[in-house]
Amino acid sequence: MTTTDIPAATARRTPPPAAGKGAGRRREGAAWVFLSPWVLGASVLTLLPMAVSLYLSFTDYDMFNPPRWVGLRNYTQMFTEDPRYWRSVGTTLLYVVLAVPLQLAVALAVALALKSVRRAKGFYRSAFYAPSLLGASMSIALVWRAIFNDGGTVDNLLGTGGWVTQPGWALLAVALLTVWQFGAPMVIFLAGLQQIPAELYEAAAVDGASRARQFVSITLPMLSPVLFFNLVLQTIQAFQVFTPAFAVSAGKGGPADSTLFYTLYLYDRGFVASHMGYASAMAWVLLIAIGAVTAVLFRTSRAWVFYAGEETR
Amino acid sequence: MPADRTTRPWALLVTLALTALLTACGGPDDSGGGGRVTLRYTWWGNPDRAARTERAVALFEKRHPGVEVQTSFAGYDAYKQKLATQAAGGDAPDVMQLDYRMIDQYATGGVLLDLREQSAVLRTDDIDPGLLATGEVDGALAGLVQARGTETFVYDAAQWKATGVAPPRAGWTWQEWADTMRELTRKSGKPGATDPGQSEDCFEVWLRGLGKSLYREGGGLGFTVDDLTRWWTFTDGLRREGVVSTARQTTQLDGTVENTALGRGTAIGDFNWDAPASGYLGIVGDGLTLAPMPSGEDGRPGQYFKPSMFVGAAANTAHPREAAQLIDFLINDPEAAGVLGASRGIPVNESIRADLVPKLEGFDRTVADYQDSVDGSLEAPPQAPPSGDSALQTTFSRDYDQVSFERMSPREAAENYVTEAKAELR
Repeated sequence: MTTTDIPAATARRTPPPAAGKGAGRRREGAAWVFLSPWVLGASVLTLLPMAVSLYLSFTDYDMFNPPRWVGLRNYTQMFTEDPRYWRSVGTTLLYVVLAVPLQLAVALAVALALKSVRRAKGFYRSAFYAPSLLGASMSIALVWRAIFNDGGTVDNLLGTGGWVTQPGWALLAVALLTVWQFGAPMVIFLAGLQQIPAELYEAAAVDGASRARQFVSITLPMLSPVLFFNLVLQTIQAFQVFTPAFAVSAGKGGPADSTLFYTLYLYDRGFVASHMGYASAMAWVLLIAIGAVTAVLFRTSRAWVFYAGEETR
Repeated sequence: MPADRTTRPWALLVTLALTALLTACGGPDDSGGGGRVTLRYTWWGNPDRAARTERAVALFEKRHPGVEVQTSFAGYDAYKQKLATQAAGGDAPDVMQLDYRMIDQYATGGVLLDLREQSAVLRTDDIDPGLLATGEVDGALAGLVQARGTETFVYDAAQWKATGVAPPRAGWTWQEWADTMRELTRKSGKPGATDPGQSEDCFEVWLRGLGKSLYREGGGLGFTVDDLTRWWTFTDGLRREGVVSTARQTTQLDGTVENTALGRGTAIGDFNWDAPASGYLGIVGDGLTLAPMPSGEDGRPGQYFKPSMFVGAAANTAHPREAAQLIDFLINDPEAAGVLGASRGIPVNESIRADLVPKLEGFDRTVADYQDSVDGSLEAPPQAPPSGDSALQTTFSRDYDQVSFERMSPREAAENYVTEAKAELR
C-alpha cells in the first residue's frame, strides 16, 4: 500500500455515527464488489446459457448453421415420434427408484454403525467417505466397467458373465457404483444422529424398549428432516447422473439401451447427432420434471417429516 | 491493517481485471511470438497408422523447421464425437482427417477451408479429377481425398484352413456366405464372423446387391421397412444359430479392431474396410486374408470403391498456408508416401501410386492386390451421404441391439429405425 492511501483511509475509518445515505451506499457498493465473482459466475455461466438454451429449444440449431425457429417441433417430436426418448425416460426412472433408496439405506446403516465406534473414529469416517471422492471420477467408472465386464472380476467370481454386456444387469452395475458413493449422505446422517438427545434413548431403555423399537420410535422420527434432505438431494442428483453411465456403457447407453439415461441420450442428441435444439428442449423438460418431482416430495414430507419442537405447538 | 479496509475492494477489482486479462492472453492463440507455428493434426485409426503418421509428421517438421505439429488420434467413434464438439466450439484442429459422411455437414457448416485458396502450396494435378471432385461441396474443395477403399470380409486363414472348409470364392453370394459360416461354425465350434446386422455399411452392401440404395438421389431413405426387416431377420437368424457373434459380443463394437469378435479371438472373420484391417495384424498374425464382400443372389456386387478418407483444414485456422503445406506433404511427397504406405489405403496421387504400388510389402501388398482383384467389377459409388447419416450409423447399430438382445422383433426395430431416420433427415 502506498503512503498516500493512508490519510484517506484513516479519515474514513471514523465515520460519524449517522453518516446517512452516502455511507450506506458505499457499504452496499463494497458488498456488490465482494459479490461480483458470484454474480458474474451465476449470470454469465448459468443464467445466460440457460436463457440461450431455452431459445435454442425452439430452434433446429445443429452447432454449425445458424438456428432456425421451429416452434414446438422439438417438443412434439420428443413426445410423439421418438421411441428412444421414452426408453431413456423409463431407464432413468427405474434407476432413480432403484439407486436412491438403496444408497440412503446403506448410508444410514453405515452411519449407525459408525456412531457407536469409539476408536479410530476419524479413520473409519474417512475410509467410508473416500469412495464419494473417488467415485465421480472417470477412472473409477472405467475400473467399474472392467470389473463388471466379460472376463472381469465379477464374471470370474460369480460366473454370471459380465454385467455390462447384458441388458438385464447393466443398470444394476451402474446403480451399485452410485450406491458405493454413499459418503455424503452418510456424513449428514452421522451429524443428524449426533443431534438426537441421549436422554431419549436412556428413557426408552429404562422403559424396556428394544434396540429395534428405539430405532423405529426415536431414531427414525428424529432423523426424518435429515432423511428428507438426503432424499431430495440424492433424487435430484440421480436424475442427472451421467459420468458413471457414460463410462460403464462405453458412451453408448448400451447394451440395448439398458443404461441409456436421460442425460446420456441428451448428450447423444446434442453432441453425437448435433441436434442442439432438440437436446436443449430435452434439458428443459428434465429441469421441469425434476422440479415437479421435488415439489411432490415436499408435499408428501408434511406427512412424514418430524421437526423437533413440533409437538409443543 | 485498517488502511486496507477501503482499498481492498479496489485491489480486488484490479486483481479481477488482471486475471481476466491474463486469461485472455493464455487463450488458444499460442502462436504469438518468434514466428514459430503450431499446427494441430488429428485423425482416427489404429496404432499402426498412428506410428506411420507420426514418422511422416516428423519428416515434415524437419523439412519445415518453423512448424511444430501436435498430433492426436482415436478410434473412429470417439474421434467422430470429439471432432464434432471441437468444430461446433470453433476449435477444430488445423488439419483433420474426415470421413465421406462428414464432408457435407462440416463444409455447409462453414468449418472447412476451401483448399483451392491455397493452391500455391497444395498441388492437386496428380489426382484423378473424378476422385478429387468427391471432396467438393458447393464448388469449394472442402476436403482432399487421401485414398479410396472398399469393404472386405477379413478372416484368419490359419483358423479357416484348420476347419477344412473351402476358402471364399470371388463373387460369393450372401446365401453362400451364410452357408460357409454355418460350416465354419460346425467345424470349429465358434462363430464364423461378427454379426453384420449391426453395421450400416454391410446393410448398404446387401441393399446394393439387390439394386437398391441406402439413400435416394436428393435425400431421403432409399429402402423400406420391409427391406430392413428382411436384412435383420436374415442376420438375427444366423445369430440364433450361433453362426455369427453373440449379442453380447456385438454390442461391444466401437470402431476399433480390438473390440471386434475377430480381434477378441471369438470369431474367425469380420467385415471391415480394407486398409483399416491392418489393425488385425498384431492380433491375428500373418494368416490375415481379405476376401470380397458377398454379392446379391444374381451376382450383383454391393461393395464399391469409396473415397475413404479425406483431409481438410479448419476455416478459422491461424495458419492456412502451413496447414496446406502439411496436407500437400502428406498427399504428394514421395518420401512421406514411402513412410505412410497403404495405411490409409492406396494413395490417390497417381505418380506416387505408380511408383509405390510395385514396392508395397506385407499387408500393404495384400490391400493393393485385393483392390486389384475387385477393380473393374464394381458399380459406381453412391453420392455423398446426407449430413444426418453420421448419426444414423450409430442409431442403426443401437436399434439392432434391440433385435439381437431379443427385445424387439426385426420388424419393430426396423419401423423404429425408419421413424428415427425420417426425423433425422428432415
